[in-house]
This record gives sequence, structure tokens and C-alpha cells, in this order.
Amino acid sequence: MREELLSVGIDIGTSTTQLIFSKLIIENMASSYTVPRIVIVDKEIIYRSPIYFTPLLSIKEIDGPKVKELIEKEYHSAGIDKSQINTGAVIITGETARKENAKEVLTTLSGFAGDFVVATAGPDLESIISGKGAGAHTYSKEHNTSVVNIDIGGGTSNLAVFKRGDVKDTGCLDIGGRLIKLDPSSRQISYIAPKIQELIEKYHLGIHRGDVVTKEKLMPIIQLMVKGLMQSVGLAPIDADFDKLITNKSIAREERPECISFSGGVADYVYYDVAERGPIKDSFQFGDIGILLGQAIRNSPLYTTMQVVKSTETIRATVVGAGTHTTEISGSTITYTKNTFPIKNLPILKLSLEDEEGGEAILREAVKRKLQWFKLDGDLQKVAIALQGKENPSFKEVQAYAKGLVEGMQELIQRELPLILIVEKDMAKVLGQTMYYELGYKKDVICLDSIKLDNGDYIDIGHPVAEGAVLPVVVKTLVFN
Amino acid sequence: MILKTQLFGHTYEFKSLKEVMAKANEEKSGDKLAGLAAESAEERVAAKVVLANVTLEDLRNNPAVPYEMDEVTRIIQDDVNEKIYNEFKHMTVAEFREWILDEKTTGADIRRASRGITSEIVAAVAKLMSNMDLIYGASKIRITAHCNTTIGEPGTLSSRLQPNHPTDDPDGIMASLLEGLTYGAGDALLGLNPVDDSTESVVRVLKRFEEIKQKFKIPTQTCVLAHVTTQMDAIRKGAPTDLIFQSIAGSEKGNEAFGFNAATIEEARQLVLSEGTAEGPNVMYFETGQGSELSSEAHHDTDQVTMEARCYGFAKRFQPFIVNTVVGFIGPEYLYDGRQVSRAGLEDHFMGKLTGISMGCDACYTNHMKADQNSIEDLSVLLTTAGCNYFMGIPHGDDVMLNYQTTGYHETAALREMFGLTAIKPFHEWLVKMGFVDERGRLTEKAGDASILF
Amino acid sequence: MNEQDLRKMVEQLVEQMISKEPSVVGSDVTISTTPAASTVKAASNETKTTTIDPNGCIPDITKIDIKKQFLVEHAKDKEGYLAMKAKTPARLGVGKAGARYKTITMLRVRADHAAAQDAVFNDVSEEFIKKNNFVFVKTLCKDKDEYLTRPDLGRRFGPEELEIIKKTCGNNPKVLLVVGDGLSSSAIEANVENAIPAIKQGLQMHGITVPDILFVKYARVGAMDAIGEVTGADVICMLVGERPGLVTAESMSAYIAYKPKHGLPEAKRTVISNIHKGGTTAVEAGAHAAELIKTMLDKKASGIDLK
Repeated sequence: MREELLSVGIDIGTSTTQLIFSKLIIENMASSYTVPRIVIVDKEIIYRSPIYFTPLLSIKEIDGPKVKELIEKEYHSAGIDKSQINTGAVIITGETARKENAKEVLTTLSGFAGDFVVATAGPDLESIISGKGAGAHTYSKEHNTSVVNIDIGGGTSNLAVFKRGDVKDTGCLDIGGRLIKLDPSSRQISYIAPKIQELIEKYHLGIHRGDVVTKEKLMPIIQLMVKGLMQSVGLAPIDADFDKLITNKSIAREERPECISFSGGVADYVYYDVAERGPIKDSFQFGDIGILLGQAIRNSPLYTTMQVVKSTETIRATVVGAGTHTTEISGSTITYTKNTFPIKNLPILKLSLEDEEGGEAILREAVKRKLQWFKLDGDLQKVAIALQGKENPSFKEVQAYAKGLVEGMQELIQRELPLILIVEKDMAKVLGQTMYYELGYKKDVICLDSIKLDNGDYIDIGHPVAEGAVLPVVVKTLVFN
Repeated sequence: MILKTQLFGHTYEFKSLKEVMAKANEEKSGDKLAGLAAESAEERVAAKVVLANVTLEDLRNNPAVPYEMDEVTRIIQDDVNEKIYNEFKHMTVAEFREWILDEKTTGADIRRASRGITSEIVAAVAKLMSNMDLIYGASKIRITAHCNTTIGEPGTLSSRLQPNHPTDDPDGIMASLLEGLTYGAGDALLGLNPVDDSTESVVRVLKRFEEIKQKFKIPTQTCVLAHVTTQMDAIRKGAPTDLIFQSIAGSEKGNEAFGFNAATIEEARQLVLSEGTAEGPNVMYFETGQGSELSSEAHHDTDQVTMEARCYGFAKRFQPFIVNTVVGFIGPEYLYDGRQVSRAGLEDHFMGKLTGISMGCDACYTNHMKADQNSIEDLSVLLTTAGCNYFMGIPHGDDVMLNYQTTGYHETAALREMFGLTAIKPFHEWLVKMGFVDERGRLTEKAGDASILF
Repeated sequence: MNEQDLRKMVEQLVEQMISKEPSVVGSDVTISTTPAASTVKAASNETKTTTIDPNGCIPDITKIDIKKQFLVEHAKDKEGYLAMKAKTPARLGVGKAGARYKTITMLRVRADHAAAQDAVFNDVSEEFIKKNNFVFVKTLCKDKDEYLTRPDLGRRFGPEELEIIKKTCGNNPKVLLVVGDGLSSSAIEANVENAIPAIKQGLQMHGITVPDILFVKYARVGAMDAIGEVTGADVICMLVGERPGLVTAESMSAYIAYKPKHGLPEAKRTVISNIHKGGTTAVEAGAHAAELIKTMLDKKASGIDLK
């Protein structure tokens, strides 16, 4: 069995907007003598759009219709109709995610881009997506090492630490190539981001909007940005400036990763070797400080003292990550008694281990109690219940789980909301069947496994694939400031 | 031809040469299951006496399966060099046995004789040999073959690294592979038995093997032991493979049960010669094992030693790089216990060499057989004495996919040290360069630490 | 030995017992190569005696998690090694003593082999069969040895046994569940009690019930063909113990076939193998089997015909 999923990735970043189409190849990896094990075995990018500047209405607002127009054009030139799209992600990244109409734009776009394309954003997820798109997690796995990838875009630097293929930590700093913009020909400054402005004032660097500047004049502020990046990976001691530069959180500094890689637009100039490729013609050709920042990083201990890994993608890392690394496949023995997919934007209620281990009554009460958290104006909303499950449960234990869950979910049943269970361990088929039995076959059940979730996550579940055996799932965290 | 003799005054008369051949076998549960075994210990010896007096010509003229109905027979018979055959055909089996054992007969003499005899002759002489005869005879015969490196040279003992994994997890496979290399395993082959016989899976594993081979510049061969047609598919899809593998049987019907015939094998060989990654000329890998014909009811009322010899006759046509008997895998209904496995291992190795092929042995046992690790350690020592080309190498001898036990990485290392042998020269030099063995091929302190290769 | 000496010895013994700490259980267990733990100097200054510590107990070596055991001395990257080892049940990172195995891993292989052999050569207990209300039948094999060497006999039944089968299963049942010991009694005892209720429940979803369950002693998979022949069942699902490996002796398979009869080609059976606590769990396999049975009834086919 071999099946292809067509996936779209759209990245609307601080400065650029891009799109890719890719094929996710899924296969049954199990022999015909065992239960199936369907997984994504390969990913292939089949179309890359040009890199566009993100259309903005103002500094605070994305030009939604323009973005849509742009995407439409790309679908057309790729010769792909949205009905062909199986999965994917639209991601609004960096500063753009903080624009006033970000959520609205996302929702419109995800509906437009395909039936099962999710809207997603948030700095942590963005770090992971760009790091995976840059190939850092693959490198860490194949070389048995740890890698920090820094995706340096226009407005933010997203950090993700991977150790032997696992995500270890994420962070985000307000450091980017377009935090100061200037006119490429006159070199007159047209924009300085507020946090950078504060730093300039603190250190009396004498840089103002409207000034005509030189490289030398800008170097001190660029060095402060480089210092921030060094601090984040533990190459320089922390100070007050660092705290200021943190977007939401930075990575733990205790265990310094063995390798470093760079992605994002600025990365092209981190990897740019003047000795090999000749001098850079004009450091201000993009009307920003990206080139200067990239070269400053190259000359800093970030590049000279750490083991540098060449990323597989630079400016496209995020869009490649969004298109190829956001979709997971559920376990291959699952239960759904009715095909009601796709289901989008399902919030997760994650039960604690104590809730699970205490037996039927405790489970029931925990579900009842925690469901109350999901009430909006006293009305219960749809929600998926996530639990860890047991490694090798007995049938009696499965029955206890099923009874506790069904009784605890009575309110969902009364409100005619779907019953959706997501288990980490491989037990979804028997648990789903047992719940269905407990419900007297009168209420439909969706129970899938092999997906790890936490409170605060949202998921989308797509149309069944592989002859209905598995469900594609996208785990996301929607955070809008 | 006389089919009658007396033993202790009692007359034993056999109906056919086929019956003599079967009853002359050492005791095997598979021959009993087939209803072919001698009914008493004396009858067994009587059959040996009769067989000793049969000429090689009689054996050639009475193939186990008629020429007209079986392509394996045709291949064996057609490949006989008539001139050499004529020199030997009047010998009795007893005389041929003594000729092989004679101090004046060299390995080269025997290799020449190989071209003039059939598999039934090979089987017959093995039936008249004691265990030490089998070792003594085989130890004279060195058969080398060349794929990327040359296996079978004097002073070497090789190992097929078998990094099997219950779900073909590529990382799990790599884990066993890397560690095996540090123990000096893998000079014969890096060869995986896949769980998933799909082309995609075979391509995936072969690519990983090739990556490792290139990354560390390892002078060896690679192969994934899927069905021959799957491997051909994989090659056509661009998978890098050095060798093509197939399990074979001693009759056309048996091969059909495995899903191929001689034409398939020749097509595969031509394909791997033209599109494979190896230097060659020897690019085939076969596995056999006593009893497999009976299990697919393709034995034509022939005993399992004779059918096994016919596998080697068939294999020889395709100039294999390596052939091994998976001697204890099939189960107690064919080889009852450690003793029968040992005997079969020695017979198969001798017969393979007398046929003229590069012979190794998967000295192994399953858990429903009355055998244990000691049984196969014994066998591996005996076969090393006999000059066996290679053994399997698996972590601690425990195959976590096929659920049987064979020789571990440590076994080949210990055998090499005890017998003063090394891996194949370029591979040995690679091991020395990496620091896993010393000049003499003994393991160093670094051996067994796969993290050196991370 | 006079009373005083005796008393002194007992006192010493008691003192020793109290002061002795139990050994650590877990992955750090090693076999001591020095005799310090159990041998002590006797009270007498002339003869050396060994005292036995009645409270002492060598930790269970089969409790060691092989995946976490690491014995390579001076490894370049132990942490990375362990991460790699976690990807396979193979016995890696075992180190060496010369070109041979360390004692602890050698003993563990022997222990696991012993468990595998016991799983093959022991029978499923009568209490287990009784407790689960299985109906007992036996193939033509007279003992374990014959069972192992005569696979043909393990597929057939005598006339009396056939009568029991007919009586238990009735005529043309839709679905039959059969348990056969196969090559591992341990696998049966470890899994069927969880697999069977899951299968039954899954079938019930489609309104299918099953008659009493047969237990077949000395069973080969082909025994289901004989049962199919005599009952005319639409689908038979036979749970049978797999030939044990060293990783587990408790692995079970479910062989499921549509209208099995003598001479059924192996390819027409659908197999779920590797059912054990470390593979596909018994409950999940049962739920999956139930769905497969339903599909077979709908499509009137099994094995390769189902694909």
C-alpha cells in the first residue's frame, strides 16, 4: 500500500509570504502478518512559489484580499485545485501574527486554501516548524547530536533545540533583519521597531528615523542583536537587554547544543562566505539590515566557536516546515463509527495521570469536572479528551476506562456534541468499541491513538486515508496576542 | 548395480537406488517424517554398504527426479563436464570417498572433479563420511568468489552481518549494523532479512546500507533478502544492491513453491550484473536447508541430504558469491536436535564445497528444537576447522525478527582469534584502520563500542 | 564443637543477617566476581566453613530491562548509545570478556531460552481451560514429542473428537473461536483471556454471537481446516501460540479464514501475529480481529482474496 497526500504550506511572515505544495507519501510499514502500521515515509516538495513581500494595509494590518489574490495565483500556476488538497497549514509568523486582523486573515485563508488546511500560529510552534523545515531535527537524529536552529526572519528569531530527532526546547527573540528599514538608494531610515528604538536610546547610539546612515553607524545596534542571540544559546552572560529582547520565552541555557544551524532570510547571509563568493555588492540592497546582521553573526562566536550545520532550507524553512512537517498520522487500529471529518479547531482536554489511574469513578468525576473548563457563557463547546492510556491493558481495564469516560461525558452526549477520544498508547480500537458498546450503539464515537497532546493544544482531524484505516491529524497551538 | 547385502548373516535387499540413498543417511527426523528412513540401525549400515559399492555412473544415471520432469536435474546433468566425468564414472562411492581423503589428492584435484559429478554423487559420498571425514575432506577444498571483495581465501573467516529488526525500523537496523561492524562482522555481507517484503521497504534499506558503506568506505557487499522479484523491482527503481538473494530448493517444484524458476534467477543475475553496484563476477546469494523440499511436498520421495545436494548443483549454475545452509531453522520435524543439526551442518558444508560453491553456514536452532547455544557453538568450531567461508553475525546470537538463535558477533571474533584467522583482507585492513582489531585480527578495547561510528 | 562455640557461631550468624543489606534490584545488577558477599571467615581459626545467608537473595536477572542495560566499557557516547539501543530489542551494548560474552548477558540469554523451551514443552494447564469454560479436544498426536515431529497429526482429529466438535459448534455456525496451544502454552495463558472478550464484543457490535470455544491440545494451524470441514463454519478465528523467540515466549497469533477446509492454501488465511505485551496487545488485536471477521463475512473471502 502506498498513498500520496497532497499538502500545502503557506507562510505569511513579517516580510515575506510564500507557498509550497508537497506530497506526503504514506505506507503500511507492517508485514501482512501483523496489524497495519501506516506512517508517513517520505516527503517531496513539488512546487515552490516565488517569495513575495507580505502585502500590508498599514503597519498594523495585513492586506487580506491581496494575500488571498496572491495565493489564488499560485494555486493557478501550480495547476492545483483546492479540492485536491488533503492537508497542510497556513501559518502567520513573526510580527505579522501580532497584527490586528491576523486571526481573521488566517480563517479566511484556511477555508479557501483547501478543505483540510489548518490555521495556525504562535512562536513555539513556529520555531519547531522552521527548525524542521531547515532540516535541523533530521540532522540531529542522523548524527546523534543536538542542534539549535535559529530562524532569523524580518521581525523575530525563532529558536528550536533538537536532540536526536526530538524537540527539546523552543524560544523566540525580537531580533530580525527588518527591524530597521531604510531606503536602498538614499539609505535614509524609514522605520525602527520599538524595542530596537529603546536599545538605541539606552546606549545613546544616535540613530533616528530619517537619518541617512552608514554601515559603521549601524554596527553597534547590530552587535547588540548578535549579543542577544549569543545570550540565548549560552555564549554570553544574561543581562537586562536580553530580557527585553525575549518575545515570549527563550531556550534553557544549561545544556548548550553541540551544533547550530540558521534559517530564515537572514541565514543566506550567515552562510555567505565573502572569501569564496566575493564581496557583497550592496549591503542595503533589500532596504533593511538583514545582510549586516547575517555577516555579523558569521563573524561572531555563534559561527566561529560552535559546530555549524548547513541548513537544508533558509528563507523557505518555515513554509517547507508548514507544508511537510505539520501533519501526523494516527495509529492504524482506531475506531470511528461515522465519517464526520474533517473536524477543525478541536480544543484538547488532557486528563492527568492521577485522573486515569484512580479507576472508573475518579475518571468519571475528572472528566465531568474538567469539561466545565470548556464552557463558554455556560454552554459546553465541542472538545476532544486526551489521555495517556495503558501500555498493555487487560480487557477489564479497558472496560473501566470506557465506563468512566462515557459516564463522565454525559453532558457532551446531552448537548449532542461528538465524543472524541485521543489516546497516546495503542488502545484506541478496543477502547472505542467498548465505549460504543457502553453507549448501546446509540451515540457515535471517535477514538484514535498514537498522538501525544497537551492541555492548550488544538487539533484538526482530516478525512480518513489509506482505505479508511488512519486519520491525518494536525496538532497546533493557536496563540494570538 | 547390486542392491542387496548381508549384515550379521541377515539379508537386506533394497528396491531402488533411491531407497539405498535414503536409508544410508544418518538418522534425521525429516527422513522419518517422509517415511524414507532406515528402520533399524543395522539396516542403515547395510544401506551404506550397498551404497559404497555403487558406481558414480549408476548415481548419475539415476537422478532423484527424472531429467524430463525437472529443470534442476537438467541443470545439474547438463553442466557436467563429460571428459572429467568419464575419468571418475567407474569409481565406486567407496573409492571416490577414499580418493577425496587421500593425501595425494589436492584441493585443486577435487575442484576439478566437481565439474564432472552430479549432486547425487555428492550426496552419496557424504553419506559414507563420518563427521570427521566431512571436516577433513572439506578442509582441503577452498572455494573463493569475488563480488566487491574475495571471500574464501586461506587465513580468512568471514561473517554476514544480519541486523534484523522486528519492524524494519531503519534506526534499529542501523544500531545493530554499527555495533556489528565494530566486532569485525560484515565482511561477507551486510544483509537484512526484511519483515516487509515490499519494494519500497527494500529500496529504503538498501539506500541506508549504501550510505553507511560510502560514509565509512567499508569494503564489503550489501543485500536485502526479500523475494528475488522484489529485489529486481528495487534495482529497477534505482536501489543500490551488490547481490541478489533467493532461497532455493532441490527440485523445480520446490522452487515453484518459492515463486521462481531458473529463468527468473538468470534474469535477476543479468539485471544485477548490468544495473547492480558490485564489481562481480559473483553476484548471487542463495540460502538452503535440509527439509525444505519435504515441507513443500516437492521432495519426490527423496531423502533430504540428496535434495540438499541438488540445491548446490542448481546454485552452481549461477556462480554465486555465497551460499549458506540455514541448518537448524526448519524445526525438529526435519532435524530433531542439536546432534542432527550438527551432522546436517557438516554434510551441507562438505557437499557445497564438493559441488564447487563458496559455502557458509547459518549455524542455528529454533526454540522448539532440543538444542541450545552450546550446540551451535560446537558446530561453528567444527566448521571453522573444516574451512567454512562464513557464519552469521547477530547481536548476542539472538535474532529478534526471525525468532531463532544463530552465531553472534562474538562467535566469529572468538573463532578468528582461536584459529589465527582474519576477515577478508581489505575489510580486515579497514578494521585495523578503525582500531577495532589489531594486525592479527584480534579484537581491541574499542571493539563493541558502536558510538565510535556515530 | 562445644556449646560455647556453637553459641558464638549462632551469634555471629545472627549479626551477619541483620547487617546484610539486600542487593540492589534494577539495571545496575552485576554478577559479583569476587566471593566477598557469601563467603566469610568462620569462627574457628583452623577450618574454613561457608555459612549460608538464609535471608539473602540474588536479584532476578530477568527483571533487568535489556533496553536500558549498558555494559560497554569506556564508551565514547553512552547516552547516544542508549538512545540508539532504544530503537531495537536486539541485545546491543553488551560489551565483551575477551572475544566472549560477559557473564550477566550470557546468563540472561540462557534464562530467556529456558523460558522459551518451557513455553514449548509445557502444556496449557487444566485449570486454565476449566476456568475459561473451553471445550477440550485433542488432535491425533499422542504426546508433545509426536506433536513436534509429526505436523500432519497436529492437523487432524479422531472420530470421537470430531463428535465433540460438532456437538459444541453446531451446524454451519457463522463464526467460531478456537484456541490452540501451538508452540507456546505461555502465549495462550498470557493473552487469550483478554483477546477473547475483545473479539466477542467487537462481533456483538454487528449482532454476531459465537458458540462455546474449543481448546485444541497439540494443535497446528491446519487443525482449523478440520474443524471447518466438520462444522461448515463461515469464519474460524484460531488463536494459537507462536514458536517462541528469546525476546518473548508469550507471542500469540490469530489465524482467521473464510470457510476453511482441508487443503486450504496458507495464503488464504489472514494472520495477526506478534500478539503480546510488547507487540500488538491482546485487547487491541482482539478488536482488530473482530473487524477482520466482519469484513470476511461481508466479502466472503480471507487472506490474499481479501486484498
